Amino acid sequence: MSNRTNGQTAPVADVQLPHVNIDDLIVCLKYYVDEENAHIRIKDLAICAACDPKPCLAFCPAHVFETDRHGRMMVGYQACIECGSCRVACPFRNVDWRLPRGGHGVAYKYG
Amino acid sequence: MTGRLTFDAIVVGAGPAGVAAALTMARGGLNVIIIERGRFAGAKNLFGGVFYTHALADVLPDYWERKPPFERPVTEQGYWMLSPDSAIRVMHKSERYLKEPADAYTVLRARFDPWFAEQAAAAGALLITRTTVTQLLKDERGRVIGVDTDRPEGKVYAPVVIIAEGVNNLLTQQAGLIASDLPPKYVALAVKEYINLPAKDLQIRFGLSGPREGVAIDVFGDVTLGLPGTGFIYTDQSGISIGVGMLLDEFVTHRLRPYEVLERFKHHPVVRPYLEGGEVREYGAHLIPEMGYDRMPKLAGDGVMVAGDAAGMVDALHREGTNLAITAGKMAGETALAAHQAGDFSAAFLSRYRRNLEGTFVLQDMKQYRRMTDFLESSPQFMGTYVNLLNEAALRYFTAHGIPKRTMEHDILKMVRERRSFTGVAWDMLKLMRAMRG
Repeated sequence: MSNRTNGQTAPVADVQLPHVNIDDLIVCLKYYVDEENAHIRIKDLAICAACDPKPCLAFCPAHVFETDRHGRMMVGYQACIECGSCRVACPFRNVDWRLPRGGHGVAYKYG
Repeated sequence: MTGRLTFDAIVVGAGPAGVAAALTMARGGLNVIIIERGRFAGAKNLFGGVFYTHALADVLPDYWERKPPFERPVTEQGYWMLSPDSAIRVMHKSERYLKEPADAYTVLRARFDPWFAEQAAAAGALLITRTTVTQLLKDERGRVIGVDTDRPEGKVYAPVVIIAEGVNNLLTQQAGLIASDLPPKYVALAVKEYINLPAKDLQIRFGLSGPREGVAIDVFGDVTLGLPGTGFIYTDQSGISIGVGMLLDEFVTHRLRPYEVLERFKHHPVVRPYLEGGEVREYGAHLIPEMGYDRMPKLAGDGVMVAGDAAGMVDALHREGTNLAITAGKMAGETALAAHQAGDFSAAFLSRYRRNLEGTFVLQDMKQYRRMTDFLESSPQFMGTYVNLLNEAALRYFTAHGIPKRTMEHDILKMVRERRSFTGVAWDMLKLMRAMRG
């Protein structure tokens, strides 16, 4: 599997990306949130705490992962668009990702 | 519980692969159930936007009379090669694209997939939505005999299950057809926005004579910061599908936010005028399997077959996938029909599915491009250096500076040499050819 470890992330030289407020993008999406059932969980918070680059904070296209002010990983599964990136790209395989229950989660209008 | 809920065949997922399989089996007289986790077929699906009709015509010869909800025919297509401040555009427009039905249409999946699923339902397949398949049911010898769902008493049995679950291949793994998850090196993450624009503006900006014309553009270079990947702009009926995709590993390594990469693309001086005044109506993201031929799962096991994204059936170079999925789904369906006739659902019997696919473009193209993903990863200069070079060479070529042309030519050659040695260029071309010739 992934043999990447901490610290191997590298910025692309000379590129300034525009800031995007992800909430402005998410707001146009239709969700049927499963309030009783989170389909994404962190397996071991200590692993996230020790993960230095925390790539999930960047690559997740819905910014589901965020750290609180104590640096603890939080999962806003309600905004998930079910792409599955975190399931395969977490360098420590620390994300427990399932499919939302039938009918729940995102429902694209255009797709 | 009163008796088992039993069908002749179960299809997991109502995307193009699953629906093509179900349609084929239902027409062949089988009692088929399609289980879809979305609220409707297509609710979870997203793609760049170009759909090829040949595969559809193969499963549904009269599809045109059934009025598929296509957006626009693709009557002009090609590439934009972006440098940070300019672009070389190589577009192909032809009268010969103007026919009905066309060979390719732009499509929005939340509109197209429900229509396609309806055609299978009309042929007799039972479409069950809002139901997630949680696991495969196997007998004591490990043969697949059905699925369990998240519904109470939700077990469903059938001698053959066709997995068309999409890129997140959880069941394919459970079936033992693939050993592990796709590594982020072999899967692309694409984000896309659907931007609403009045058809009139759209037609003026893209130079279209009316709704019977449409444009499909693939974009290289600065769109992905010079990293391996592509962007795209496709015209819909009254909107634009715009997006960008890169190997997931690139997002991880460079710690990039995909929506910011897309935003940067939208602000490119060449791109921005096309989007002016448009409203973002939807944003989405999806993974694209790019493991290639050599890392595809086994396509059949005892009582089970896999088709579409779950089987890695994508030709990224030619932005094809739904057509591969439909053709594969059809062949999986035909194999299930033959298995019922023979009363044999063993892996040995179902392996004829793969043999038949080998005779088609699906596996032949995948085999030819088996080195593509590795090639792009090992030769990043194709997206960065060369595209920028071409743009700068064009700028010099098209501008009169009062410099003798001979000097201009020397300048261009010098520029090439500074960035990549001639042997380097020769080596790259050789590698490119090898990656394309298979």
